[in-house]
Amino acid sequence: MSENILKIEHVTMQFGGVVAVNNLSMEINKGEIVALIGPNGAGKTTAFNCVTSVYEPTNGQISFLGKPIARNHPNKKMKKIYAGTHGEDFLGHVIRHTPDQITKLGIARTFQNIRLFAGMTVLENVMTAMHLRRKSNLFTAVLHLNLAEEKEMRNKALKLLETVGLLELQDEMATSLPYGKQRLLEIARALATEPKLLLLDEPAAGMNPQETDELSAFIKRIKEQFDLTIFVIEHHMNLVMEISDRIYVVDFGRLIAEGTPAEIQENPAVIAAYLGGEEE
Amino acid sequence: MTKINSRARKPIKWSTIISALIILLVYAAVFIAEQTLPATSMLFTVLKKGATYALVAVSMNLLNGFTGLFSLGQAGFMLIGAYSYAILTIPVADRINVYQYYNGGLVQFAMPVVPALIVAGLMAALFAFLIGLPVLRLKSDYLAIATLGFAEIVRAIFQWNKLGALTNGSNILREFPTFNDFNIRNAEGEVTLYLSTLVPFLIAGVCIALIVLLINSTYGRSLRAIKDDEIAAEAMGINLFHHKQLSFCISSFFAGIGGAMLAMYQSTIQAKAFTSAMTYEILLIVVIGGIGSVTGSCISSFLFVAASEWWLRFLDQKQMIGSFEVPLLRNGFRLVVFSVIIMIVVLFFRQGIMGTRELPDLFRRKKTLKQEVKA
Amino acid sequence: MFKTVFPYLLTGISVGGQYALIAIGYTMVYGILRLINFAHGDVFMVAGIVMVYLNASGMPLWLSILLTLLITVIIGFAIERVAYKPLRSAPRMSIMISAIGVSYTLQNLVLYITGGLNQFYPKIPFISNTVSIFGVNTKMVTLVTPVLTAILVVALVQLINHTKIGMAMRAVSKDFETSQLMGIKINSVISTTFIIGSFLAAVGSMLYFTNYNTVIQTSGSMPGLKAFVAAVFGGIGSIPGAVIGAFIIGICENIIKGLDIILFKSGITKQNLGLATFSDAFTFALLIVILVVKPTGLFGEKTTDKV
Repeated sequence: MSENILKIEHVTMQFGGVVAVNNLSMEINKGEIVALIGPNGAGKTTAFNCVTSVYEPTNGQISFLGKPIARNHPNKKMKKIYAGTHGEDFLGHVIRHTPDQITKLGIARTFQNIRLFAGMTVLENVMTAMHLRRKSNLFTAVLHLNLAEEKEMRNKALKLLETVGLLELQDEMATSLPYGKQRLLEIARALATEPKLLLLDEPAAGMNPQETDELSAFIKRIKEQFDLTIFVIEHHMNLVMEISDRIYVVDFGRLIAEGTPAEIQENPAVIAAYLGGEEE
Repeated sequence: MTKINSRARKPIKWSTIISALIILLVYAAVFIAEQTLPATSMLFTVLKKGATYALVAVSMNLLNGFTGLFSLGQAGFMLIGAYSYAILTIPVADRINVYQYYNGGLVQFAMPVVPALIVAGLMAALFAFLIGLPVLRLKSDYLAIATLGFAEIVRAIFQWNKLGALTNGSNILREFPTFNDFNIRNAEGEVTLYLSTLVPFLIAGVCIALIVLLINSTYGRSLRAIKDDEIAAEAMGINLFHHKQLSFCISSFFAGIGGAMLAMYQSTIQAKAFTSAMTYEILLIVVIGGIGSVTGSCISSFLFVAASEWWLRFLDQKQMIGSFEVPLLRNGFRLVVFSVIIMIVVLFFRQGIMGTRELPDLFRRKKTLKQEVKA
Repeated sequence: MFKTVFPYLLTGISVGGQYALIAIGYTMVYGILRLINFAHGDVFMVAGIVMVYLNASGMPLWLSILLTLLITVIIGFAIERVAYKPLRSAPRMSIMISAIGVSYTLQNLVLYITGGLNQFYPKIPFISNTVSIFGVNTKMVTLVTPVLTAILVVALVQLINHTKIGMAMRAVSKDFETSQLMGIKINSVISTTFIIGSFLAAVGSMLYFTNYNTVIQTSGSMPGLKAFVAAVFGGIGSIPGAVIGAFIIGICENIIKGLDIILFKSGITKQNLGLATFSDAFTFALLIVILVVKPTGLFGEKTTDKV
């Protein structure tokens, strides 16, 4: 049986009075493609931000490859006023890694609102993401004694660009690319950090139908090629149903369903959430 | 695959070779001019001060233009560099005169120039490291005001009379080696080889070259990534604090050396001159040259110094055309004209002289330019 | 002990009130534009110079006071329109650089006009008079400043809380874009902010320069920076915070100025330590400490960045 690569346990993220993610627990196994879906504002991106440590969760534990990357303070020190719905489970404030440490451990991500480095070319964007795996130090890098490594980085970056089909555009400014290509570049950049787990935040947003069709094949291909586990947020249901092994559904920050694509399509709670249930 | 490998190594481009030749020519011209023109020519004042300012401006650009850190502490780091250099190099025999109120001072040895320059840079970098620990976690405008405040604190500490045995309190420091001491003299004391302009050019050149190498390394890419988007940079595994600290210390190291060069240029120094106005002046040089262009900072340093020390001097004196006295011209008018030019650049030519382009970019084929326009 | 400390405390309260009047300009502009208006201290200095020249022209004092207030307000308004408005969509760094450019321009302009010489500030009757409190001789302005500051701050808070323009200001400082969409005339709100800020700076300058007697082109930079620190200390965007911060800084700074004498007279130290050198540096040390310990200041609100 496959081991879990990412485990989210009772994670709550609260901004002032708003509970964006409420007691979320989920598991992702090695080699899977798992989708997180839900209506707008359901807390999907917030969940990503907790995993990548952009936010400090208010409560809960997140483990990657069996080791905690965010966990409650062992002394049960209370840091914030806590208004989640599972007060008795509250263990204290959360201590966590910084985002760059998370990336070093092997979690890479793309962003919903594309965040490429605007002042750089396509190639430089990818090469920047290789900085964290460098073997050179400041001294050798400044004096350019690491030419072999630079060449290797460059080769690898070019290969990645070839994989995503942007090789010809390597010297263009990143922000001059069309929207769909910028999303592909973000994926290439994330792959450059040599991740084990890849988080894709709405990779199909802004793509035309043809590009979206190509995307599902592409995601499956990079999963095999780079031996990845993929965790994806997406609104295009066709894409989600086609690529996912399992799907988690959130609404108002809570997990409302979990299962295979076929199960999710039949789930009444999911249908209610998407069509706007009466309890609203 | 073959396609990738053939393109894998960055080919050495013609534009780079032409640029290197131009820089070489500039150095040769400086050397020849120095041997042929009278040493009192205004040109050399401009070149010496210009080289000093170029280094400081480039060091500031490394922070503001390439790392996106809006720091206003440059004058403080220059002060630390200038004082470290002066304190370490004043000849032992002269110390009793310089430190006349402090019995010759605490330090009773003198170092050669080059090691003293490096120590000056290291002292500035050390202070930068310490102050960076708290302030580099602040957001842009708070960082600006905190670094400005830091420079003021440094200025006060160096003027404190309790430290007089080291810093000479609020009195001037002098008698340390200056640029003129680089001239080679014969036994009669006549100058046989003029080097007083070439040496500052060499010092500044080596330092700026190191900064350029840094910018073009994998570290430089990371700094530019931080400037473009901190959150994305962090998500790509770049430790924000570590890299900001690195940039801050390196920038301060070179600002410290720049301060030492300013001391050599002025031949006397006093802590109270290193005000925030000095930082503002350097910032404006960076802006005129183009935030994010090393070449721009160098060009605008020389233009700025030439205009303020030489070309626009006439604006400060009464001028007669025949029997007609040109109105408005009197002491201070030069600075008014200057301010207006700066405001025009800030408001209407925000790219400055060079934008983010560098010297080699000027010799590239038109294609890249077109691409830039499209972008 | 009290007798040695009291005069410094008194000056401190007075200077604190003057800083408070400048700090309000910083905190309001920052609240709305997220801009450190580096030129604000120089507007304060220009107000002093304008007063000197108007008074020298021989017009009655009441008229020069009124005209000084008016001209300062026009300058503040004009600076915003010329130097900041065109950069509204530019990066933050550009507009901050523009502010530094304006500061540089104002200083050089005044240098040119005055020839770089100290200008003697006119004596304003009543507030220039000397009074004696608990055996300490001081100028009337020392007593007037805190009172006047309090009146102006109360009036300003009323304006912000109970008028339509005040409501618009609060809305803009909460959310610039949304309030624009809600039909608030953003430009007039910003102009009003600059007008109020400059008016208070002009009042502050009259009190400050009556105390210090002379004006020169650099007179504005230090008080300006200190007032900004006061605004940060109190929590930027908060008017009561800025006022309290300003009083704390004014008092501490003057106590430090007199610390050598105080320590010597009370027998704690045997010699002069020269601590007065640090009266300016103290303010900035306080700034760095507050930014590290509580970046939002005493009364500031916490904001979260969205990703």
